[in-house]
Amino acid sequence: MNVLVLSGYGINCENETLHAFEVVGFKGKIIHINDLIQNPKQLNNYQVFAIPGGFSYGDDTGSGNAMAKKIMTNLYDQLTDFSLKDKLIIGICNGCQILINLGLVPSLNKKDPEVALIENKSGSYECRWVDVRVSNSKSPWLENISTLNLPVAHQEGQFMIPINLLKSIKANNLIGLQYINHHKKLAKGQFPFNPNGSKDDIAGLTNQNGNVLAMMPHPERAFYHYHIPNWQSKNLNKFADGYKIFMNAKKFFA
Amino acid sequence: MTNTIQILSIEKTGKESSLQKEHNNKSIKIIDGYFFSTNLDDQKFTKISKLISNDVSQTILTKKNVNKVLSSYSNFNWVVEIKFLPGVTDNIATTVKEIIKDNLKSSFKSFELGSTKIILIKGRKEDITKISKNEANPLIQTIKIYPFKKYLNNFKKNQFKIEKVKLPKKKYSKKEINLDISDHQLSLIGKLGIEENDKSRRGTLGLDLESLKAIRNYFSTIKRKPTDVEIETLAQTWSEHCKHKIFSAKIDDIHEGIFKKYIKGATEKIIQLRKDYFCVSLFTDNAGGIEFNKDWIICHKVETHNTPSALDPFGGAITGIVGVNRDCLGFGKGAKPIANTYAYYLADPNKNYQLYRQKNKDPMLPANFIAKGIISGVRVGGNCSGIPTPQGNVYFDDRFAGKPLVFCGTVGIIPKKIKGKLSHKKKANPGDIILMTGGRVGKDGIHGATFSSEELDPNSPVSAVQIGDPITQKKMSDVIIRELRDENLYSSITDNGAGGLSSSIGEMAKESGGFIVNLEKVPLKYDGLYPWEIWVSESQERMTLAVPPKNVKKVIKRFNARGVEATIIGKFIKKERAIVKYNKTEILNLDMVFLHEGYPKLNLKTSFPKIKKEKKKIIKKSSLIDKLHKLLSSPNIVSKEFIATQYDHEVQATSIIKPLQGEGRVFGNATAIKPLFDDEKSIALSQAAYPQYAETNPYDMAGCSIDTAYKNLIVSGANSKKIAILDNFCWCSSDEPDRLYQLKEAAKACYDYAVAYKTPFISGKDSMFNDFKGFDKTGKSVKISIPPTLLISSIGVVDKISHLTKITPDDGDILLVLGATLNELQDSVYSKIIGYERSKNPVVNSKDALRTYRNFEKANKLGIINSAIGIDLGGLGIAVTKMAIASKKGLTIDLKLKNKISVDQFLFSETQSRILVSLKKNKLANFKKIFKASDYTIIGKCTGSNVIEFKDNKKIMRGKISDFAKSYKQNIKGL
Repeated sequence: MNVLVLSGYGINCENETLHAFEVVGFKGKIIHINDLIQNPKQLNNYQVFAIPGGFSYGDDTGSGNAMAKKIMTNLYDQLTDFSLKDKLIIGICNGCQILINLGLVPSLNKKDPEVALIENKSGSYECRWVDVRVSNSKSPWLENISTLNLPVAHQEGQFMIPINLLKSIKANNLIGLQYINHHKKLAKGQFPFNPNGSKDDIAGLTNQNGNVLAMMPHPERAFYHYHIPNWQSKNLNKFADGYKIFMNAKKFFA
Repeated sequence: MTNTIQILSIEKTGKESSLQKEHNNKSIKIIDGYFFSTNLDDQKFTKISKLISNDVSQTILTKKNVNKVLSSYSNFNWVVEIKFLPGVTDNIATTVKEIIKDNLKSSFKSFELGSTKIILIKGRKEDITKISKNEANPLIQTIKIYPFKKYLNNFKKNQFKIEKVKLPKKKYSKKEINLDISDHQLSLIGKLGIEENDKSRRGTLGLDLESLKAIRNYFSTIKRKPTDVEIETLAQTWSEHCKHKIFSAKIDDIHEGIFKKYIKGATEKIIQLRKDYFCVSLFTDNAGGIEFNKDWIICHKVETHNTPSALDPFGGAITGIVGVNRDCLGFGKGAKPIANTYAYYLADPNKNYQLYRQKNKDPMLPANFIAKGIISGVRVGGNCSGIPTPQGNVYFDDRFAGKPLVFCGTVGIIPKKIKGKLSHKKKANPGDIILMTGGRVGKDGIHGATFSSEELDPNSPVSAVQIGDPITQKKMSDVIIRELRDENLYSSITDNGAGGLSSSIGEMAKESGGFIVNLEKVPLKYDGLYPWEIWVSESQERMTLAVPPKNVKKVIKRFNARGVEATIIGKFIKKERAIVKYNKTEILNLDMVFLHEGYPKLNLKTSFPKIKKEKKKIIKKSSLIDKLHKLLSSPNIVSKEFIATQYDHEVQATSIIKPLQGEGRVFGNATAIKPLFDDEKSIALSQAAYPQYAETNPYDMAGCSIDTAYKNLIVSGANSKKIAILDNFCWCSSDEPDRLYQLKEAAKACYDYAVAYKTPFISGKDSMFNDFKGFDKTGKSVKISIPPTLLISSIGVVDKISHLTKITPDDGDILLVLGATLNELQDSVYSKIIGYERSKNPVVNSKDALRTYRNFEKANKLGIINSAIGIDLGGLGIAVTKMAIASKKGLTIDLKLKNKISVDQFLFSETQSRILVSLKKNKLANFKKIFKASDYTIIGKCTGSNVIEFKDNKKIMRGKISDFAKSYKQNIKGL
């Protein structure tokens, strides 16, 4: 089981993302986008492709846009191929923004990006812990997970989806994660439970196969118990909720 | 054919909502514009627009649709067009160019482009003018206001223009400067700069008459005239910023100067007392280094960026944070930045100070513009760099109206050994190539180093402003840390900060002997720079490396493969000469010793200042609960949550004690990160400054700062033997004897308390002239000086996760105060908000403090302490309330008073070295084995209800926690 963790041009969560995969049993490598463009064939050596969080190109022209355009220009076919195989792709935060801009998620009608991630309703960057639930997803990434407590850290995390498309996203069960409130009910757009004003409290989307997951919260930052806010007041297991996502990737190939 | 691409968001953006709210106008729309230097044909227009926009969320304006699209939002009638002045860093434009180049590849033809923000409103011209004042800074941006009709016309007729830097093509000929002139003429060179042929002046050199005379003497002994480059270089190297002349000057009877005697002296004394290997690298490098564990070193550096932040708050602050990140990159062979810290000392953002640099013109930026700009500058710098920013604070005082203080710090980590060699040692060898990497050189930041030594006045040069580009730096940083350092491919590295190449190469060459630089090799942002400008420019995101010739090709190749430039610009030599050439003409040839040590040493005298007594205010009669609310909602105590949530403190997955603590999210005094996956050791960080105490007694002020910064780490669980501190002095009028007296006193306290606590200074910085000289709105001349401010930053190692404390008590816990409470209300938050009481200023008794700290540490390691919070601003009353807000659990406090002090004195005195702790009942017996009865007071317990109760002999006063939380979480007015 090998994971390729992408880096370069302002991606910045590659170390902790790779670490999370390694702890659950993957072998992995951080590969700079330019090296991948030089030698795209190396993708064949990997079963998981992870685009970590960060600030590729400083969010200029919209978060994830510039990196998505670089991938479109240089690697689009290879990555699409990858997504059509029995392999897994995950995009976290800036990685999520990149996957959405590439149109690899939700990828319902095979044309340009169908969904956009726009600026948080609050107008400001939000670094805070949120609760999300898994809603009717068949994604291997989310199997047997009901809720997760994870941090978000983004300026542009508000999912914007045309109404018709939202209908088919729901019909196909592609909403992976949704923000919930303290009572474990949908946040209904209420801040700070829904930190960005996302439509239908969407925090993550998948493609139809479920093998591609784009999520705004950071599972790799909620990996060990001491990552959880106020962990000293709680009785906790060694691992925090984010661990479950990475374990699911391992189980998929086991 | 068109020369512009303009994009708008279909739905209302967050920014638009906040603008609409702020200006009470629902018809505001923002357009992202890109102006090109060439016309784009339809095919290119479509292609490029698609590359830089989003089909789903945005609309691209075209000549055909512009009218229709915009009128669907509102009947706009005014437009403001904001774009960067030529030569100012335009990060968005750089990205757009890169996307286009990558996509169009061979069909790409070079062109210029600029990013623009266009704001449309329906309203009056006054309204758009007001918006433009809040959204743009005339120092770095052009602001054009015109009617909407003209905008449409511009659109249709391709009349949007990009302004390029157009410097006159200058043929350089070596310029020699005659210094055999009158003293008056000589001092003009120092104050206004070298005279050009057209009689204009280049801008301040910050050289005083004595320094210029020293230069004149040197050149008369070597029997030639100095070149302009030589004078510029000496000005940079000898600047207060680089040489810290005041700290190294003879002051009264202290011949070695206060740095050597008190700061370095303290550390040397402590090393002698400690006999361990805790201190690894002190004062000599870009940051100070201490041992983290057996394999790793951590380093810390805190810088200020005050004057640039006064002129361009966003640019100044972002440059401050990415600049100090480079200090870590330049520590030893290159440490990886793992945490940022910040501290802002600002004027009240809700006040309109109306200050002018010149009579009735050249206004200072409004206080809220400065505050907002600084906060967002560090946000963008830190977040974009992927470095967590967990630790910081903000303090408000009117005396920062003329100059804000912006402290930016970074912690880095580096393996002790790299390929068997000690990583903190570096040495440029003779023959090593000088490699400049990262960004290109422009006119930005010229005279930054010399200018920070001067007061802010009408001659403050505008080119002193830089804007950081965190992504360029991140790319460079990744190559250095991941792909070069661990293979030992370079022999030395340093950052290009103040003074640019002249300073970085000049400093590094001390390791080899000297250097030869060929300035024409330096890559430029645009043509037309003079050699002296290239040499001293402070363009950002550059590091200088000394690379053995055999590795040069490999190193350049690795940089280039990541989209980073690296250029050979010279070599290090053995001979102790500093030599600079431009197209083969030698324009600088100085003796290295003269370059670094030739400046005249100052001889300073101090005098005892008149104590400025606190003005008497009538005490406002109100209930205790009311007073608590007043204090909680006052700007210096109120929660800074809104900053903590916009600074990513979770990136790198190291955050272990977060800035917001407890379910009730209280803004903490200290934070901790766990930097290594395979070691449970953590790094605790804190900081403290008490400018409000400075005028009464600068010695005690410094004592309080050190005590608080140290205490916060002890309270967080750090090992007392592994705490180091950093000093950042921000002073005012440092040419006045009474200010120097305060400086000397503060420095003396630094020695006394650091030695008492055995906590070494590992790094520091000073900024000595934080004064504003200008005019008020009536045209009257005013001088506003900051209160002397000493920021002490503390960094400590926490050995075990279980040692980390929390601030939240549990039901049934007993509450105790460690340390005695005295009547020390002078200069307190209470005295400012509630009213003056005849009282004393807080004085640190290091013996008592240390007893408290050692006992606390012991008790905490034994698991006796359940929760703890350091007592500081607002005293015990605020500490108690914060505990309740954080835990959402009620407390009851018994006001059985000791030492004949009043209730208000007991609750609001700012007596230092105290800790509020809670214990589980069954731990009290063990607690008493460690603490003597006279060292603590039991003050109450945690009831778990929803109120805080204060019990007097006669009555009970209650307040709901939720109400206190509301006061504590109020918005700061003006922000």
